[in-house]
Amino acid sequence: MDKVLESAGMKKSFGRSLLYTLPMFLITFMFMTGGKPNFSDPASALAMMTAFLLVNVLYFFMHYTGKTDRYRAVLFIIFALSLSYTLIHNMLEVRKSMSFSQADILECKIPFCHLVIPMMILPAAFTKSIIFPGSIIGGFANISSMVLLWLVATVVLGRGFCSWGCFYGGWDDGFSRIRKKPVIKKISELWRWMPFAVLIMVALTSALALMPTYCSWICPFKAVTEFEQVTSVESATKAGIFLSLFGGLVIALPVMTRKRTQCSFLCPMGAVNTLSNKITPFTLKIDKQACTECLKCVEVCPLYALTPEDVKAGKVSLFCSRCGKCVDACSKRAIHYGIRGIPAGTMKNFSRNLFLFVSFLFMAIFSAGSIISTFQGLFKFIF
Amino acid sequence: MKKVKIIAGISWAFLCLILIIILFPGLNSFSVSVSKLPFMKLNPRYTGGEIANQVISKSCTLDIRRPVFNGFLKERNSGFVQLDWHGTIPDMIKDSIDFDHDGNKDFCISINRKDSKTVLNPFNKKVKEVLISTPTSYGWAARVKLVN
Amino acid sequence: MTDSLILGLSSGSACLATCGMVMFPYLMAGSAGVKRIAIDLSLFMLTRFVIYFIMATLAWYFGQALFSNPVVRNIVPGILYIVFAVLLVWYSIDKNRKKDCPAKIIKTVNNHRLVPILLGIVNSLGFCPALFIILTKSATQGTLIQSYIAFLAFFIGSSVWFLPLPLAGKMRKKEVLQNIGILATGLAGIIFMIKGITNLIGGIING
Repeated sequence: MDKVLESAGMKKSFGRSLLYTLPMFLITFMFMTGGKPNFSDPASALAMMTAFLLVNVLYFFMHYTGKTDRYRAVLFIIFALSLSYTLIHNMLEVRKSMSFSQADILECKIPFCHLVIPMMILPAAFTKSIIFPGSIIGGFANISSMVLLWLVATVVLGRGFCSWGCFYGGWDDGFSRIRKKPVIKKISELWRWMPFAVLIMVALTSALALMPTYCSWICPFKAVTEFEQVTSVESATKAGIFLSLFGGLVIALPVMTRKRTQCSFLCPMGAVNTLSNKITPFTLKIDKQACTECLKCVEVCPLYALTPEDVKAGKVSLFCSRCGKCVDACSKRAIHYGIRGIPAGTMKNFSRNLFLFVSFLFMAIFSAGSIISTFQGLFKFIF
Repeated sequence: MKKVKIIAGISWAFLCLILIIILFPGLNSFSVSVSKLPFMKLNPRYTGGEIANQVISKSCTLDIRRPVFNGFLKERNSGFVQLDWHGTIPDMIKDSIDFDHDGNKDFCISINRKDSKTVLNPFNKKVKEVLISTPTSYGWAARVKLVN
Repeated sequence: MTDSLILGLSSGSACLATCGMVMFPYLMAGSAGVKRIAIDLSLFMLTRFVIYFIMATLAWYFGQALFSNPVVRNIVPGILYIVFAVLLVWYSIDKNRKKDCPAKIIKTVNNHRLVPILLGIVNSLGFCPALFIILTKSATQGTLIQSYIAFLAFFIGSSVWFLPLPLAGKMRKKEVLQNIGILATGLAGIIFMIKGITNLIGGIING
């Protein structure tokens, strides 16, 4: 396998890999330190250095080994864990609880996340207002910056956002890697359309109720971020739904299927990002001449984005999040990163290098804050 | 045609690279521009509506907000009026409110801050019940349900 | 009103998935002109509207008679919501749903003028779980007007799916939309299941 990769030019020499890592090294250094490293607080400096090294070592290994998903997943999972840690830590420090109160809602202090965006669109168009109790500008996770970050990311990465930018995806990605072999092997293709059904339902209910219904009633990640105080039958029901969905779709099913079931069967944001897959310049291509139709890619795809029919037709479906798992699994390099307009089977390295730089840079910078803060907490705890 | 497609694809990819590189350093200033878009304001159901009247007493101020009946396409039958108390608030709040500015008091609200017990005494058929009564960072807030 | 509209919007797609294949040839015969399609569709809709109006009235009067006790008013509809919601979820995942279309009896009618009216009757009386849910909701409304509003919202929501029928034959991704619609129906079922559970718990606590 390694020989195949080497001969095909996926693996790079040590020096060449370092050279490819240099721009990432410089840019992440600038972003993480602001150009002026501060060593006055040893715990912060150590946390920053660890995060910086982690990001760059992972990127280096992507080039050196020719593997993508293995190293992407490490940062992706750390990102998810660290964001939950940072949020919970802040909540406990400020509010002494993981739940937010009615006062927090009244004062519009709820952190905004990208999952609200699909529910905002209709009310924004018809009522010219945002239906979320957050801050428009300023403060932690404000609406304007989150909308902007998501908008640019989804245009640039399409559904790639779900594997390179989403700070929740790492949870089910992580759990999907626990078992070596799946217990549940076959799930009907019909379920791939579920996020669209959820999207329609939450977009309509949110518009009619002027309330982000997915956040209020469905979001499984409330279990690892923040949720409404349990004060009534309704809020208890909500908490029950959050916990069951988290347990079922983020933990149990990913473990049993080795797939990212929450992302595949529930997330309305995934449905929106699927639509933007039509815009992004970065795609996955199947070189029909090299493909032996072994269907290894179908087997490993965590998002049910590939079917045997897709492989036979030489097309990757819109559900693809460019995680790179199929690329890593293909011994013939038949499935590879590509750029729109460039025919399949050509300019494979150029396309991969460009895509990796763009997507990894986004994830590295986007995740830096929460990873540094988590390391900081960890070091303070240890020392 | 094939070459044009390749050039267009690569150009679009490089443009995306530039977008990502300038996104983070420019995030604050770009966000300010986004926040100025016409729909970028919170719905009154969340802000509580504009302040319509202020009652200033010795130690504290009561803001009476405009009643909120906002719906998706048209006004709803039920809504609320939000009251905010700022400053040094007494342990026992008791205020009579005229939310529709017709010169007549519409309800009287009494709040015991120690146990959060809130009693509503409506004088107007439109006033129904207390939806929220909670301490806030600035003092105390209450929402009273209204029907049209 | 919101949940009735949502229920109509979601179940309308399943209704179309169930009966579409039977109704297409009659309502949208390939050679028919736009005028005939418009008249047939209007007759079909009008029939549904009238039948829903009658059902809203009957359901409300039955509800007044049966659910006079406030605890029963919460508990019985709560149980009904749960049962019908489970049926609705089952209906959305049942692969044999196409075999059960009540509109297939239309195939035996020869008079073309009667077809849209009969289809309207069969469609609105085709007691699917979604209709049972809306009947339960109507029966528990405070006033007759509220019962009409619930049915009206359900009618509007479900009608949206029938309006583009003349164009449906030309759509490329018909199956995709149908799949999404069927799954949305299941979700509507889950929403009503939660509503039922909340009603039931509320009823038990108040009792």
